[in-house]
Amino acid sequence: MAGERVMVIGSGPAGLSATKELTNMGFNVILVERESYLGGTPKKLKYSLLFPELRPATEVIDPLVKSVQESKNVKFYMESIVEGAKEEGNGFVVNIKDKTGKVTSEKVNAIIAASGFEHFDSRRKYEYGYGIVPNIYQISDIERMLSENKLVTTKGTPPKRVAILLCVGSRDATVGNTYCSRVCCAVSVKQAMEIKERIPDAVVHIYYMDIRTYGLMEDKLYWKSQLEYRVGYIRGRISEFMRGPNDTVIIKGEDTMNLNRALVVPYDMVILANGMEVGLGSKQVAKALGLQFEEHGFIRPSDPDRLPVQSTRKGIFLAGALTGPKTISDSITEGYAAAMKAYEYVTKGIWDESSFGKAVEVVKH
Amino acid sequence: MSTEQEVNKKIEEGVKEAFPMADNVDWNEVYQRIIYRYSTPHGLQHVKEELYKLEDEGEIIVHHIKPYNNPVKMQSLNGTPKVIPTNKLWQHKSCGQCGHIPGYPTSVFWMMNKMEIDYMDEPHQTSCTGWNYHASGASNPVALAGVYVRNMWRAYEIDYYPLIHCGTSFGHYKEIRNMIVLHKEIRDKLRPIMRKMDMDIVVPEEVVHYSEWLYTMSKKAVQQKKYDLSKVNAAVHTPCHVYKLVPEDTIYDPDVFQGRRPAAPSGTVQNFGAKLVDYSTWWDCCGFGFRHILTEREFSRSFALFKKVIPAVEEGHADVFVTSDTGCVTTLDKSQWAGKAQGFNYNLPVLADAQFAAIAMGADPYTIAQIHWHATDVEGFLRKIGVPVDDYKEKFIQYLADIREGKTEPQYLYTPHRKIDFYLSVPERVKWYKGDKGANQKTS
Amino acid sequence: MFMGKKMATRSVLELPDDPRFMDMAYEEQGAVSEEERNLSSLKPEDRETAVKFWQAVKSDFRFDEYLRGCLNCGVCTSGCPAAKFYDFGPREMIQYMMRDEADKIWEFVNKKVWACVQCYTCSMRCPFNNEIAGLIMVLREYSVQFALESAKEILAPYRRVLYTVMTMGNQVTPDMIQPEAFPDWGPQAVEESKNMDVYRKSIPVDLMQRTDIGWHPSLQTAVEMMTIMFESGVMDSIKKVDPDLYDMIEDIYQDRKSQLEEIKEKWEKHELNENELPDSWLDL
Ligand SMILES: Cc1cc2nc3c(=O)[nH]c(=O)nc-3n(C[C@H](O)[C@H](O)[C@H](O)COP(=O)(O)OP(=O)(O)OC[C@H]3O[C@@H](n4cnc5c(N)ncnc54)[C@H](O)[C@@H]3O)c2cc1C
Ligand code: SF4
Ligand code: SF4
Ligand code: SF4
Repeated sequence: MAGERVMVIGSGPAGLSATKELTNMGFNVILVERESYLGGTPKKLKYSLLFPELRPATEVIDPLVKSVQESKNVKFYMESIVEGAKEEGNGFVVNIKDKTGKVTSEKVNAIIAASGFEHFDSRRKYEYGYGIVPNIYQISDIERMLSENKLVTTKGTPPKRVAILLCVGSRDATVGNTYCSRVCCAVSVKQAMEIKERIPDAVVHIYYMDIRTYGLMEDKLYWKSQLEYRVGYIRGRISEFMRGPNDTVIIKGEDTMNLNRALVVPYDMVILANGMEVGLGSKQVAKALGLQFEEHGFIRPSDPDRLPVQSTRKGIFLAGALTGPKTISDSITEGYAAAMKAYEYVTKGIWDESSFGKAVEVVKH
Repeated sequence: MSTEQEVNKKIEEGVKEAFPMADNVDWNEVYQRIIYRYSTPHGLQHVKEELYKLEDEGEIIVHHIKPYNNPVKMQSLNGTPKVIPTNKLWQHKSCGQCGHIPGYPTSVFWMMNKMEIDYMDEPHQTSCTGWNYHASGASNPVALAGVYVRNMWRAYEIDYYPLIHCGTSFGHYKEIRNMIVLHKEIRDKLRPIMRKMDMDIVVPEEVVHYSEWLYTMSKKAVQQKKYDLSKVNAAVHTPCHVYKLVPEDTIYDPDVFQGRRPAAPSGTVQNFGAKLVDYSTWWDCCGFGFRHILTEREFSRSFALFKKVIPAVEEGHADVFVTSDTGCVTTLDKSQWAGKAQGFNYNLPVLADAQFAAIAMGADPYTIAQIHWHATDVEGFLRKIGVPVDDYKEKFIQYLADIREGKTEPQYLYTPHRKIDFYLSVPERVKWYKGDKGANQKTS
Repeated sequence: MFMGKKMATRSVLELPDDPRFMDMAYEEQGAVSEEERNLSSLKPEDRETAVKFWQAVKSDFRFDEYLRGCLNCGVCTSGCPAAKFYDFGPREMIQYMMRDEADKIWEFVNKKVWACVQCYTCSMRCPFNNEIAGLIMVLREYSVQFALESAKEILAPYRRVLYTVMTMGNQVTPDMIQPEAFPDWGPQAVEESKNMDVYRKSIPVDLMQRTDIGWHPSLQTAVEMMTIMFESGVMDSIKKVDPDLYDMIEDIYQDRKSQLEEIKEKWEKHELNENELPDSWLDL
């Protein structure tokens, strides 16, 4: 059995956990990663504390990275992408292209795609002026600023008034994303607390339509932020930002608890809770491997209820945020699941069939 | 189409979107290209597909853009192409412009003459009736569609491509076009009315605003620029009806505000060498309000002054306000005087992009740009960029006196119409104005 | 009724006379749906029209396409220029529509609906893709079609615009700018109206030289415009709000149509002598 080879594409939480499990089970792993480092988006954006436990991201990600890095059974292709997978024998021959354009072929028995998500680029909501009006950031920028301890405005001073706007690029038909990104509420509430922790006299307001700190996060985040940090919650989505005097940002919103009550309020710093999208990385993987997309553009599992980590192509498995918005622990769990499914497939040839999506589906818009 | 084919098509589209430039992926470039995305229940792509389907089925006639319209491919909000015809154009005038800002259309005609562009301007046009509709609601979808199609038919029958002058007409026509294409019940009610007038339902494949044309042509037009505008701070007001109605069907360009504001008229101002200045309320409307400019003027005045003029001057230090629609020029221009009494003495000159460009190209500010119809200090602005305003003015006063006494006639921008054209729209009329050259391209 | 005024004489907060505001009154009142109960806030003579009006709006072919749902996010109202000045907001309207509140729609349509400046900011930004400004137009259209008193009032100053648009296709005329009507536009407007005639004559485009119309349309165009307005039913609604205007336009339509037919016939038979035509049919 030793010597069986599985390819894992992507080294985020999902890819790393899948790799780790596969090597634990005695498999060899070919790990293909587009970037020059392991750890995925949490590393790329230098996450600060993780919700819901408020522990440093490094505490969660680093041990995973370390165990994969130290494994003798992993062959790394860094700064590389896959170019296509041809079925051959009881597996695939996959071409891997590196940054210089050099192509290498690898024969594997199964593939796990774990190429993750990308952040919604807030420049696309151009009424928000991200990138044009100073002192507007995205939660994905703030993570780095927090972890590098550089949370300051353009004037070099810590912000005294901060507004966080939820659902940027999610739940918004005008940008084509009608889904909820699931993590941004939690991330935002977490960031609000981190900001208050560092700048206790700062005013922090969260503009929300709904607060989705679901499950066990309700009291750990939403309640705690009010009980212990006095974070303010204002119901309404902001429609536009304007450049204010002195590099402040003026928001325009409606306090939707009251009819027609306009909110025009200045802040030193505005944070956009930009959501998750499948991203070009996973689209590329889908193209190279011949996978299908579901209606929101994420990768479609062969059965979202019964077989969430099995793709629509035999021998290819899925793990992590490429199938939809997920937390890190979800992604890690899926990494385990995909590893187990791949193991079954390679050693016993088990591949479940599903009738999902085969019947004619009429999507009414 | 079967479901499987549909799924495959979706995948293909997704892939194309992810990989617009085939194999050599430059991630940064890809990022830039996906910025422009906007989605609506009926995507523009879908409307276009339906349009051609209806053409194939013989339900409607599509007025195509032909090679002799010198089409130029521009980009719309989603990065999808929008084709702008640049020649052989039918002037769909604006009643508000012709009535109150006559230098607006004359500047367009003058520039077209300068750039040797073939066009027809005819008495066989009505306004889009959109202003009345949005103000009073005294109309209905079939009537609006009828007005649109009737005008489009007049352009179609002589094979000149309609160029829409008014921002409201433009936005409104985009909507009406979608409605005609997507709703059979409208077509079924419309057809008998059109038949009564010996017409059929004709829909041009693109609705094109003159400001889009001007932006497309601006790099060429600027070669004839006479004055240096590099010291000019120009604030732009982009008219709501141009880009907020059917937002996907307006041109954007990565060169103009990183593709995050409509290309026109900002890009035109930029290409003419002026400094484009930003101000916080650029999104806001001008205050025109359709009804408000007539019966709620307190609103119009306050809005124009406090939400547009003052921010443009205080934040952007603007020397001139450039915009590209009828109502906006009127509101921004006329609303400033009343502020004086309250100590808000701004007097910021307001010009349409067409006037701005024509003047920069050396058009007579009075006989062509007709700045005497403006209430703000346009003359002061012209002096600043070196236009010999006083000479022009002296000549113009003399010219007015001569006109009054019947001693002279205007130098017409194109051959005045025959008498019969003020009565009937005879289909072979174009021959009379253009000779065989103009009429040889028969409609297919 | 036991919680009547008698007991509450010393109360600081006044209790409402209407027991339906009190939960305990439900029994007497009987279980009535909210929609029905709300209607009773309207004047009795309005109730029927209010319901009919709302039914008509709901069955318009655009309604389901334009109204999709609402996140109650306030994006529409917060970007709305009219909401800055008036007690008005598009979210308010959308919510009434989503909740099927005929009474609130009725109140809205009789006043607030006219506050909107039709800038379409709300429509462009609504994350649910509602065509909000379009829904406002649907309400306005129906208020004219129902000849509501409020619509008549609003339309009164538009008589001249309506006349011009229906009979000539233009909507505004240069000579509209009378200094008395536009004192807030300052001295330039005075100058303009004083010199209107010569200003117009000096424009180097023959279509634009009259003071009573933006451009000179052809007779055929004017007749076609009226044909569209009569055939499409617009004139039927005008008849309801302004019968005099209707009669006036109807007369003009008949006259012009016969003039046109005569000229057309002659032209087709090559019998028309162009020189005999008046310089402008507008002066006929
Ligand atoms: C601002 C923010 C903060 C967050 N904070 C938390 C938190 O505190 N707690 C929590 O539980 N979750 C958090 N999340 C969610 C968390 O980031 C995701 O759940 C997690 O990163 C998903 O892991 P993944 O492995 O599926 O994907 P990723 O982390 O995105 O990893 C994908 C990997 O695949 C690589 N890749 C992509 N395309 C290709 C390709 N074509 N070829 C080769 N390699 C490719 C990428 O380079 C990357 O290394 C946060 C999310 C956001 C938006
Ligand atoms: S998680 Fe919260 S912020 Fe993110 S999309 Fe969902 S509701 Fe909006
Ligand atoms: S913008 Fe749309 S979703 Fe938001 S409150 Fe207005 S109508 Fe509702
Ligand atoms: S269209 Fe009307 S309701 Fe919508 S934002 Fe403009 S003024 Fe407000």
